[in-house]
Amino acid sequence: MKNTDIQKYFKEVDDIVSQCDRCGTCLTVCPLFGVKDIESSSARGKNNIARGMIQGVVKPSAEVLDIVNFCLLCRTCVDNCPSKVKTDNAMIVIRQYFAEKNGSPGIKYKALGGLMKNRTLVKFSAGTLKILRKIGMNTLIPHGMAPSEFTRKQYLSSFAGPAALGSLAATSPIDLSNKSKVAYFKGCGMGMMFPDAVEGTLAILRTLTEPQIIDNMCCGLPHLAHGLRSDFLDMAKENISLFEKADVIVSDCASCSGTLKHIAAHFTDDPAWQERAAAFSRKIMGISEYLFQVGYKPQHRVDVKMTFHEPCHLGRGQGVRKQPRQLLTAAGKFIEMAGADNCCGGAGSFHIDYPAIAQSILDKKRINIENSGAHIVVSECPTCLVQLNKAAVQSGNKFKVMHISQVI
Amino acid sequence: MIADEIKLKIRDIVGSENVLDSNVDCFGYSYDSSFVPMSAENIPDLVVIPSTTKEVSAVMAIANQYGIPVTPRGTASGRTGGCIPIRGGISLALHRMTQIIELDERNMMITVEAGVRTIDVYNFCAEKGLFFPPDPASWKYSTIGGNVGENAGGMRAVKYGVTSNYVMGLEVVLADGSIINTGGKAIKNVTGYNLTQLFTGSEGTLGVITKAILRLIPMPKVRNTMQLMFPSLDNACNTIHKMLISGVVPAAAELMDKISLQAVAKHRKLDINPSIEACIVLEIDGETNEDLQEQAKKIQITANEFDVIEVRIAASQQEVDDIWAIRRGLSSAIGAMAPNRFGEDISVPRDAFPETVRLIRRIAEKNKLTIAVYGHAGDGNIHPSVLCDLSKPGEEQQVHDAIDEIFAAALSVGGTLSGEHGIGITKRPHIAKALGEAGVNTLKMVKQVFDPNGILNPGKIW
Ligand SMILES: Cc1cc2nc3c(=O)[nH]c(=O)nc-3n(C[C@H](O)[C@H](O)[C@H](O)COP(=O)(O)OP(=O)(O)OC[C@H]3O[C@@H](n4cnc5c(N)ncnc54)[C@H](O)[C@@H]3O)c2cc1C
Ligand code: SF4
Ligand code: SF4
Repeated sequence: MKNTDIQKYFKEVDDIVSQCDRCGTCLTVCPLFGVKDIESSSARGKNNIARGMIQGVVKPSAEVLDIVNFCLLCRTCVDNCPSKVKTDNAMIVIRQYFAEKNGSPGIKYKALGGLMKNRTLVKFSAGTLKILRKIGMNTLIPHGMAPSEFTRKQYLSSFAGPAALGSLAATSPIDLSNKSKVAYFKGCGMGMMFPDAVEGTLAILRTLTEPQIIDNMCCGLPHLAHGLRSDFLDMAKENISLFEKADVIVSDCASCSGTLKHIAAHFTDDPAWQERAAAFSRKIMGISEYLFQVGYKPQHRVDVKMTFHEPCHLGRGQGVRKQPRQLLTAAGKFIEMAGADNCCGGAGSFHIDYPAIAQSILDKKRINIENSGAHIVVSECPTCLVQLNKAAVQSGNKFKVMHISQVI
Repeated sequence: MIADEIKLKIRDIVGSENVLDSNVDCFGYSYDSSFVPMSAENIPDLVVIPSTTKEVSAVMAIANQYGIPVTPRGTASGRTGGCIPIRGGISLALHRMTQIIELDERNMMITVEAGVRTIDVYNFCAEKGLFFPPDPASWKYSTIGGNVGENAGGMRAVKYGVTSNYVMGLEVVLADGSIINTGGKAIKNVTGYNLTQLFTGSEGTLGVITKAILRLIPMPKVRNTMQLMFPSLDNACNTIHKMLISGVVPAAAELMDKISLQAVAKHRKLDINPSIEACIVLEIDGETNEDLQEQAKKIQITANEFDVIEVRIAASQQEVDDIWAIRRGLSSAIGAMAPNRFGEDISVPRDAFPETVRLIRRIAEKNKLTIAVYGHAGDGNIHPSVLCDLSKPGEEQQVHDAIDEIFAAALSVGGTLSGEHGIGITKRPHIAKALGEAGVNTLKMVKQVFDPNGILNPGKIW
């Protein structure tokens, strides 16, 4: 890497981490510090190792990269930090720096990046699984995951009784007067692992409008998170072009909607794309955000206790908190669980890289779900759903896990 | 460097999962919340994370035998470099000693381990209607060990005092590993020297505190918050004096100067009346709501005598939170005003507050720097924040000069170098000016008795 490149990365990181006052607030909230209480787990530890590296006090070694990779990018620290230090962004930039310094983010991430960039592979999930297995990432799709997805139909038949099943047809009272063209952004994780939920999203959208189905690229978060920024930018450009005609772009994956909303920030110094990226980002909405905004009424109300696991990329990432909860309040007996916005430990591929730590974080989540007494835990992100499904099994199937589009 | 065989012994004591020795892991224990620059020399050779007093004692015995420096550490929220292991050796991280051993409601005392966080002590007692008043702004993450180590203060000091006013007894592991208990639950206790108070504020240089017995008081039933805006700093200070003399003692009396207010206004996008030069935030507490109204009325009358511009008495919890959010966010808001910031912590007799602020203004002008001033006006503890950009040539020297002059100003009005953050590394060069040669020698003699090999937190205070 050229010296100027290093300078550029270091400046970008330093602008963030030099704002860290080292107070320690983040120690009390970082989920990783909560299960492994050594300094380097916390945001303070990570920001300062970054600082140490920039100032030449520690060498940019593989161990430093390990510390930088050991982050859920969950933004809990950012939310609580008095100086609002964007630790997650700093970690992403350093991963990028290492990827370029080492010529690659490591075989595994590179393979993952290549895979997610390839639409055909993503579409044929059988093929995907094979490749995932080859690179040892098949645990991304837990054993029997896709076939055992708890479908809307099963949900209604087990919790609602036959009457509710029949009353599904209700057309939405909403008249989209402004004739806005709504497009659906299909996330890779949703497509590969939760086809029933994707169907649910589309069915709901169809009660409101005729959604455009576009053969989109991956949102690029896995690439961005692991130092494949140029892949990320390539895909972003393609997505921007693909969706130019839509007025609203709805995604049922919080990681996608969150990432896409922030795309504009990556093109601020690219005059050719700046405007288009900003326009694209403005059009993005998460499914519950969109449905809430248009006043969607759930198709059925079922007498079952449900709770919401708030994905990091939804609540802290986009400030979407009340919308899914209100939809659920209309769809069933909604109860707020303790720590609903705590990370579940999924965090993209974190749970594959650090299974034991992710498990400890998930255990806390599972206990909160169990204590809430909910029969259904609902979320809006495939990685979270994967984690929550693990928790469900570990709890002896005390609760079921569903995507919000399957219950409203 | 610590030899492998010694590391092995230490691992045997605390378990190898509780010892860190890789350079990057140890790096995390080389800084605290002070502005001490990072340095490879401050990285400890070993981080040891004990869970019991017995483990602490065994580790100290080994360190003493081999002459290895040991620096106790709570959560490194200290502002003066206290827990930075500048001589390497062992960073003794005590944050896992988190047992609340006993709440003795009849005697109104709680016994806790050193790693318990301040806020956890407060909450635990509050559930039983008891009150642990010391409230450093860092209370959500600072440990009791660190609070005792620094004799931490807080906003409530004006009415309720500082940490030392609540420490009844300590369990301390000495440099050679022996364990002593000082003080106890007896309120009157003159058996031997008052070692409890000697260890309180000793910054980890005399012994490792493993347990503390803390005194509690009944929780005030009601509280409220007021915000007063003044046309001058003197008027604000005079209001506080008059209040205190007339027997109205607020639970907290925080003062902010104009620069601080501007920082908050900018950070929170507020508009502030330009004629306002100073702001006071008060917490009042008592037994009944009438009690509070009475206090608020008296305060208002006094403030009127000093041309108060605005008086806001919180009418809801939301308003209370809003007002305190301004004060709590102050440090960050000021930090955001410049690339670098040096926060100081001087303490002066209460009536010298306005004079000291005037001196600081002059220092700022002379050195062409912006210095925001806020502090605990009720007890004369001032936090001047020097704003600067160290990348500008010559600015670093100006900042150092200004800080020297601020300390000189504090001493000139009969004040001292530190109100609550301790001396640590950052104020070491100034201690002789504050205590005199003989004074510093006395400290050294005390240290010599407790730690003849000089292994406990070496290089601090003087
Ligand atoms: C945002 C912010 C606000 C703050 N506000 C205040 C405030 O209002 N009032 C105030 O007084 N301070 C304040 N501080 C300073 C700091 O939080 C206190 O000094 C606190 O007591 C330090 O606790 P700690 O657990 O972080 O200790 P550390 O920083 O880890 O250690 C502090 C010192 O105590 C020693 N020590 C720690 N544990 C032990 C032990 N068990 N036995 C012996 N020695 C030990 C260390 O060696 C070191 O010298 C603030 C700090 C920050 C970052
Ligand atoms: S809370 Fe923010 S400022 Fe404080 S240590 Fe963590 S990252 Fe740094
Ligand atoms: S983003 Fe999450 S995991 Fe990473 S440092 Fe912040 S709180 Fe911890």
